[in-house]
Amino acid sequence: MTPSAPPATTVPETPWSLLPPQVDLTPSPPRPAPSGWLRKIHWRAAVGALMLGGILHVGATLAVPLLGPGRAYQKLADLLPANTMVVMSPAQPGKELLPFLLPDAYYGLCRYSLANEPISVKTPLSDVGWTLSLHTPQGENFYVMPGQQRSSDISLVIVPGAERSSDLIPAANRRAAVATEDQIASPSEEGLIIIRAPLKGVAWRAEIETALSRAKCTPGLTP
Amino acid sequence: MRFIGKLIINLVAIAVLAVGGGLGSAWYMVEAGSRLTTRSFGPWTTWVAAGRPDADPYTRAHAARNALLPIASTLELSYLAKTDADGGQLQSVCDYSVTVEGMDGAWWSLAVFDRRGRLIPNAADRYAFNSDSAMREPDGRAVIVAARDARPGNWLPVGGGKITFVLTVQDARMAAAVQMGGAIKTLPTIRKLSCR
Repeated sequence: MTPSAPPATTVPETPWSLLPPQVDLTPSPPRPAPSGWLRKIHWRAAVGALMLGGILHVGATLAVPLLGPGRAYQKLADLLPANTMVVMSPAQPGKELLPFLLPDAYYGLCRYSLANEPISVKTPLSDVGWTLSLHTPQGENFYVMPGQQRSSDISLVIVPGAERSSDLIPAANRRAAVATEDQIASPSEEGLIIIRAPLKGVAWRAEIETALSRAKCTPGLTP
Repeated sequence: MRFIGKLIINLVAIAVLAVGGGLGSAWYMVEAGSRLTTRSFGPWTTWVAAGRPDADPYTRAHAARNALLPIASTLELSYLAKTDADGGQLQSVCDYSVTVEGMDGAWWSLAVFDRRGRLIPNAADRYAFNSDSAMREPDGRAVIVAARDARPGNWLPVGGGKITFVLTVQDARMAAAVQMGGAIKTLPTIRKLSCR
């Protein structure tokens, strides 16, 4: 007696969209083996290289501004006598003071030194767009005053940082060495005063030159 | 002998990875910046902490290396563009229109330089327009056209090879928005008009 074959059953057709997603279970091809010399690099060497690279990255980044004055200050320091305001006309091709410096503006520049006494600054800031900014040799802008439509000039005194200010300020004025509205403590002994006077048009050249000629930076507590 | 060979390969690998990777990545971060230090709005890119005494080391190194003296970014920001709105490199063989609008109340200046920050010589002796010197359309927009040949209106002459637009905006509120990570919708659009 032979067992009879089970009756054939028909499987109802299932729409493809109802089937579970096909999962490819075939093993992925083996990764290509690293080339000969790459296999000889010890993992410790790779980790060491990464660490050394990190140290070089941080060291190089920190070194640029810390190794000395920025290139902008170096360039300008050669042109500017200490504690004297110099007015520069709008830049011309080949005679740019610094890269990407606004070409449609006059600049009043003063390289100050607080080695002997504070520096007084007096300048007009007579319109919107004018600015008075103070920079360290590294380029940090530690004080900025924007211009407004005002007729009177503004005055301020740059004093050394807190640790040295009491030495340089005369005893009678020593209370004033503590920051007041018109006294600015400089974090560095030297720096730059920059007055920017944008040009509204050619017709305004004479007016701006006249206004900037009033800008002064002088040693002492009064301009 | 095999040991010495392996040692040399390891030392060379350390030197290449460390110097190339370390210094190369530092150079890139200082020159081009990253999302940590810069923000981009279309083609315009700005260094968020430029000029500030509390700026990060990359921003400080960028300014020191490139001889820049930026005003603190809490008051004023400078945006550089080296591409147009479609991502094409800005070149002097093409004409571009830069439309400034929606910056009422802010002082701004748009200047054109070569890629190294030098002015482009031209007979008109013109290198920039600002919010006071640019002529306005009836609707208040300022349309500045950078082109080799003279154009009516605000014509900014260009020449040489690749060019860079620098937009300086003095607006404390806008600067604060950039610092806080907010969106800026008012930066000018740069459209290529034609090329030779």
